[in-house]
Formats: sequence, C-alpha cells, structure tokens
Amino acid sequence: MLPGVVGLIQATEVIKLILDKGSNLIGRLLLYDAMKMNFKEVRVRKDPECVICGENPSVKELIDYKAFCNVPLPGSEILEEIDESVYELSPQEFKYAMDQDPSAVLVDVRESFEWDICKIEGAQLIPLSSFNPASSGLDPEDSLYLYCYKGKRSMLALKELKKAGFKKLKNLSGGIDLWAEEVDTDMPRY
Amino acid sequence: MSLNNEEINRYSRHLTLPEVGMSGQLKLKKSSVLMIGAGGLGSPLGMYLGAVGVGKIGLVDFDIVDHTNLHRQISHTTLDEGRLKVESLRDTILMGNPNIEVEIYNIRLERENVLELFSRYDIIADGSDNFETRYLINDAAYFSKKPLVSASIFRFHGQITIFSPETGGPCYRCLYSEPPPAALVPN
Repeated sequence: MLPGVVGLIQATEVIKLILDKGSNLIGRLLLYDAMKMNFKEVRVRKDPECVICGENPSVKELIDYKAFCNVPLPGSEILEEIDESVYELSPQEFKYAMDQDPSAVLVDVRESFEWDICKIEGAQLIPLSSFNPASSGLDPEDSLYLYCYKGKRSMLALKELKKAGFKKLKNLSGGIDLWAEEVDTDMPRY
Repeated sequence: MSLNNEEINRYSRHLTLPEVGMSGQLKLKKSSVLMIGAGGLGSPLGMYLGAVGVGKIGLVDFDIVDHTNLHRQISHTTLDEGRLKVESLRDTILMGNPNIEVEIYNIRLERENVLELFSRYDIIADGSDNFETRYLINDAAYFSKKPLVSASIFRFHGQITIFSPETGGPCYRCLYSEPPPAALVPN
C-alpha cells in the first residue's frame, strides 16, 4: 500500500506544477513512514559544489551511469578474487553431488524470514548477516554445499570460508529460486 | 483548445473549483508528463494523472507484469500477468479516461535515448527503482531544463520531492552526490 500513498502525493505535485497553484515540494523533501504513520519535512538546498548544477560543474553531458553506480563496498578488496565458476553447480548438479557425498553439509545463508518461507530439506541456517566461519560450528573437513536466494550471498560466504581454510565448497548457482524452478517445483517462490 | 460537452461534464467538479476552473482544466489538457516506471508508484500516478485530464502521458518501462507485482502495482490485474507493463497501465488509464493520449515506450532508459524522449514532455515524473536510472534521469532533466517530480520507496518509507535547479531548488545530486556501494543496494 505504501506505493499508493507515495505515488498519489507525486501525482498531486505534478498537477500543482501544471496548474501553478499552491506551494510545491521544490526545496522540500517529504518523508513518509508508514509504520510510525508520520510525515516529516526536510529543507533541501542547492549544493554550490554540485558537479552538475553547482557553480563550477564538471559533468557537462550524460555519463556512463552503470560505471558511476558500480561503487565497491569498503573493505571488499580484502576478499580474495577467485574463479567463481569452479564452485558453481547448477541445481541438478548440486542435488546429484550432495546425494553422492556422505560428508555433505547443506548450509542456507539467507535470513530467517526467508527460511520461514521455504527451505531445502536437511539444510542448516547460518544467516550471512551474522556469518563467521570460526564460530559457525562448521568443520573445515566437511564438504559444504551453500545456497541463498539467488546465489550471490552464498558466494560471499563461500569466499569467507575459503579464506578461513575450508576447501570443499560448492555454491548453488541461481540459489533456491532456481532450485524451486528446476528441482523442487512444489516449493513456493518469493 | 477547448473541452467538448462530455469533458465538461466529466470534469465539472474541477470546473467549479476556483483553483482549477476552465483555465486550469485546459492547462491540464495541454500538458504532457513523462513517467518513468509503470510499477508500484507508476500505477496510482498514471491512473490519477489520466483521470484528472492530463492531455498526454508517456510511459517508460521495459518490464512485464509478474505475479509478485500484483499485490502493490494496482493498475495491473491478475489477467495482465505476462503482458508489458506499459501496455497494461496504458489500458487501465484509457479505461478511466479515453479523452487523453497515452504514449508507451517499452524500453530501458539510456543516455542515448533519454534526451530526445524528455524533449517531448513538459514534466518528468520519476518512479524508477534503481540508482543508475535515478542519476541518469536527474542529469537528463537538468540538461533538458524540465522539472523532475521524484518519488522513491523502500520497505515502509517513502520520499517525495521536486528537483528543479532552474527555479532555485536542488537536484538529486545536491542531496546524494555519490551512489551507495553496489553490494549494499537491495533489489
């Protein structure tokens, strides 16, 4: 319902601009909090240093926005660059490898609200938000099969584990979402 | 430009408001708004802009209606699943008000197409859902000298403002000079 409230305020402002009536939101940022059910207003000003509309603009034409927005996470460079494809298994390969592997340990690194929606049977939950290889209770000798929703977060966990000395690591490519599409079609998707 | 009898009847509750009146209703009819995003924000935005009589609405979105959209993107119904969002929203708008014109662009907004597109409309309304597009729209609106009515939502929070550096206000970059690290950006 939140987008309805916000979209209608946006519509109201468009109409007022067209009619040139009332006081509009130029120079004001309106903040809506649906849980607290309040509106706050923040005065916003032009930044004289702004690279586009400031006094000495450096951006004078459109730029490469994909590159501009590809900002690395501070500290992310300490994670070793690895060839991720070595660790990726398709859902079918992942299932087959696990079924053949007596020391397989299946780890779900999603958050608990996701776990409550669906999970792969036999998995244990170790959310990435509190993930620490040392205190995880996992054994470096185990072969770990990792998954998350789409496969990105479990790859981050995999890199942490590799750094901590774990060697037998596999990642479910496409995550539980692709698993639900290709292996367990009865599983709900979200 | 004038209103026909059906339009006069349709907009009669506007025409009797001193703040709108016949001159205001004609301003609406003459105006054009380009909306980026035909999803959660675009649904109510487009439906209302259409109903009140904005003469020309442009819709930009490259997505199709997915089952997980239906609970919040209220212009799309269960029957629209799998259709282009711009087509589904256009049909909803025109069912509400067939007097107006709706132009659809089933494209991803890029630096190669944005300026030409913006040049055809008076006002830009941003309901996009990613930083790349937001910065692109901000810069293009600035170069095109068009007011940008901007809205964004995250979980239970919403933000709305108008960026119009031409008339003294800030632009999006004045508020957010740098995008957040890509790894922290939620889908």
